[in-house]
Amino acid sequence: MYSLWATTGQSALENAHILVIPGSATSTSILKNLVLPGVGKFTILDNRKVTPEDAGNNFFLEGPSSIGKSRAEETVRLLGELNESVTGIADTSSVAKLLETDPSYFTSFTLVIAHNLDPTLLDKLSTLLWSDDSYPPLVVVRSAGFVAEFFIQFHELAIIETHSETAPSLRIDKAFPALLDHALSLDFANMDPTEHGHVPYVVILVRALEDWKNAHEGKPPQTSAEKKAFKESILAMKIKMDEENFDEAESQAYRASAVTGVPSEIAALLQDPRLGSLIPSSPPFYHLLAALQKFTLEPPHTLPLTSTLPDMKADTNSYIHLQKLYKTRAEEEKARFKSYVTVPIDDALIDSFVKNAHALKVLRGKKWGALDTDHETLTNALASAPKQTAIHLSLSALSSLAVKRPGVAPDVEALTAEAEALLPPGSVLPDEFPDAVGEVARAPTADLPNTAALLGGLVAQEVIKVITKQYVPIGSYCTVDLVETWTGVI
Amino acid sequence: MATTSQNTDWQGRYYHIDQILDRPGPRTDPAFLAGDGVKDFLRNQAKILVIGAGGLGCEILANLALTGFKDIHVIDMDTIDISNLNRQFLFRPKDVGKPKATVAAEFIMNRVPGVKVTPYFGKIQDKDDDYYMQFNLVICGLDSVEARRWINATLVNLVDPENPESLKPLIDGGTEGFKGQARVILPTITSCYECSLDMLNKPTAFPICTIANTPRLPEHCIEWASVLEWPRVQGDKKLDTDDPEHIGWLYSVAVARAKEFNIEGVTWSLTQGVVKNIIPAIASTNAIIAAACCNEAFKIATSSAAYLNNYFMLIGTEGIYSYTFEHEKREDCPVCGGESLELSVSSDLTVEQLIELLVEKQDIQIKKPSLSTPTSQIYLQAPPQLEEATRPNLTKKVSELVPPDGEVTVTASTLPFSLSLRIQYT
Repeated sequence: MYSLWATTGQSALENAHILVIPGSATSTSILKNLVLPGVGKFTILDNRKVTPEDAGNNFFLEGPSSIGKSRAEETVRLLGELNESVTGIADTSSVAKLLETDPSYFTSFTLVIAHNLDPTLLDKLSTLLWSDDSYPPLVVVRSAGFVAEFFIQFHELAIIETHSETAPSLRIDKAFPALLDHALSLDFANMDPTEHGHVPYVVILVRALEDWKNAHEGKPPQTSAEKKAFKESILAMKIKMDEENFDEAESQAYRASAVTGVPSEIAALLQDPRLGSLIPSSPPFYHLLAALQKFTLEPPHTLPLTSTLPDMKADTNSYIHLQKLYKTRAEEEKARFKSYVTVPIDDALIDSFVKNAHALKVLRGKKWGALDTDHETLTNALASAPKQTAIHLSLSALSSLAVKRPGVAPDVEALTAEAEALLPPGSVLPDEFPDAVGEVARAPTADLPNTAALLGGLVAQEVIKVITKQYVPIGSYCTVDLVETWTGVI
Repeated sequence: MATTSQNTDWQGRYYHIDQILDRPGPRTDPAFLAGDGVKDFLRNQAKILVIGAGGLGCEILANLALTGFKDIHVIDMDTIDISNLNRQFLFRPKDVGKPKATVAAEFIMNRVPGVKVTPYFGKIQDKDDDYYMQFNLVICGLDSVEARRWINATLVNLVDPENPESLKPLIDGGTEGFKGQARVILPTITSCYECSLDMLNKPTAFPICTIANTPRLPEHCIEWASVLEWPRVQGDKKLDTDDPEHIGWLYSVAVARAKEFNIEGVTWSLTQGVVKNIIPAIASTNAIIAAACCNEAFKIATSSAAYLNNYFMLIGTEGIYSYTFEHEKREDCPVCGGESLELSVSSDLTVEQLIELLVEKQDIQIKKPSLSTPTSQIYLQAPPQLEEATRPNLTKKVSELVPPDGEVTVTASTLPFSLSLRIQYT
């Protein structure tokens, strides 16, 4: 299959076991998008029977004929039909009882998802799963009618394959010896005209920069006047007006004046104090970071070169030759990098780490509910993301009211009072709050098919990222408003 | 109230949806009439058309059925392929080879009691204005630009200012990998599909001379196999990108080519990706976009909340980024604008070069255009006699045939509209 997350991601997905609580419309919508691409196993934990209300809004129930049957068993059976290679388990135990008698049940999964779970149970579950960094991430999903939010609780997520669109440096400014020799060896003046029109822009830039530096006390073009003159010097190398390779070199000229160093985000990762106190059993990612740190301390003080060369105007031979130069150098630098790795690590992982060194990401997560008790962060959220925070507060108010006044239909006044009680001292509810809370009061227990389906897509997408450790998942709350049709993050 | 639905509805069936339909929200239009009337319209009167029963279409049909639409029509010209099963969740291995529209319709009717889904296995172009007039709403989940341009233009042309019923809202969804968009088009009122043609990602096109003479990338070798070698060796046999044997042939030819030029990286999956020119679709993005589309359909049909004005764009690779904005109507849109498109060209430009420009230009993209002025034919692609008669014009300069500020009408058989150009010379 032509997959978006390659075979490594697919096998991570196939080895995962996901727990979902309970078998609501939103839960089955999420699971559908995990079962289709082939998650290994899933369990639905739900001790309720299918009600007539459930039968009306859940595609993974068979209308009236499912009413009265176990909701876990019915939904697992119908989800299972989507993919024969996936194992589905229906568990009809009570969440409350399991939390009390067998907490290790919850920690045995790869990831846990809870939709509109009773707030008291959710507190216990999130506290349990936060209590050790080896425990599975928890995805908390809350929805009411047209509004919804979800949050991923995890301690730390180190991602190598971020699929970043930022390209690594070609190191024009710090040309490695073989590249520099090659650029200097070309006799542009006496070259065959066809060949001249096919010299790759990388080579042109390296050569033009070297010539420039020789004429300017070894310095690259720095001021804007110099940069302009440098571009003109490139165009002056043309022997025919239509030589596109020189036009390409001119448009890429900024690469010659940019200084290739360690990108600031990666430099920040290398400052991690843990790198100084690694033990053999520390995660491989940190051993690789430590090796990277050593690598960058040596000249040329860059990340290891990658052999990925973008396409450019060139004939086959000159392009392949250039590609070989990059490849050979990249192999040499990888060998140097490997010499700094002090524990046994799979070669494929090292290759991937080196290839993605310019785009590594480490996300640090928070405990579910931390936002509500952290006054400073909440105050900032109210200022920087008012409409998103309005949704979060409305749903939090709904949760706390459910604990205080179970069974009573919440109205706007009661919800607003609850939300105000959640605010840090001196803060007021955002102007957007009435819009959000009004929708929550309108449909406090509605698990709408469209909202469920939209959450199903969003949550599954983020879960796939967390499990495959590819792409970059959200680091905080994602909020959804389906009246105005937007999603946001806090 | 009609009785059809009462036979299959059970107490509590619409418990969730009715919370929305029984009372307004803070942003609901005052014209919303909560209660039985709106429920009756949704469940017993509304007639909705779904175009496409693929990745998006399957999701759209399921959502519409659950929200209470009971008279749904679906058009799709494709049959089910084994590779569809990882996202088109209404299909099972036993359905491979059958029409998507028919299988999807049957599945929905079995799963959601009381919903009638009428399939049509064929092309949207088979249907006439009367057919499209019968619907209240149209939702599109297609991966073809051509088909969308056709339905968009058809629905814009359908609008009769004297008859409000002739305005059919068009909800369009599209996905590519982790990215997607959903939009609401009110023909003639908001920006239309054609207005935003320049927002499409330009497909990567490799120059033929690179493919033929100076390949550098594995993609160049694959293009060589499919664009040059396939027609040379296989003659008139049509390349079917869903046929593993065809892909296998291209793959082996591309591998040989790559070996000859010392190029690395030709794989089976890359071959498939290049010839299909697609980024693989995934279930989760389809679910998000289909849900957004169906939510708009539900809001428009019930007035229970304002609908999207008018474009929702999602990028899910790094976190979740989305952008909701109003895409503006183009006054020179060939479908819904009134003005001609100004085009400045060199007075040396030949008719052939002008045609190339029309094919390439981001906001025009008309394949095989025919050109005429109000008084003469410049170049016609068909029928053969007229093509032959007008062919000598291809090498003539446009300035010899069209005066400055003159008008050129561009038509193409695949598009149900004509583009009017006003030519200036530089």
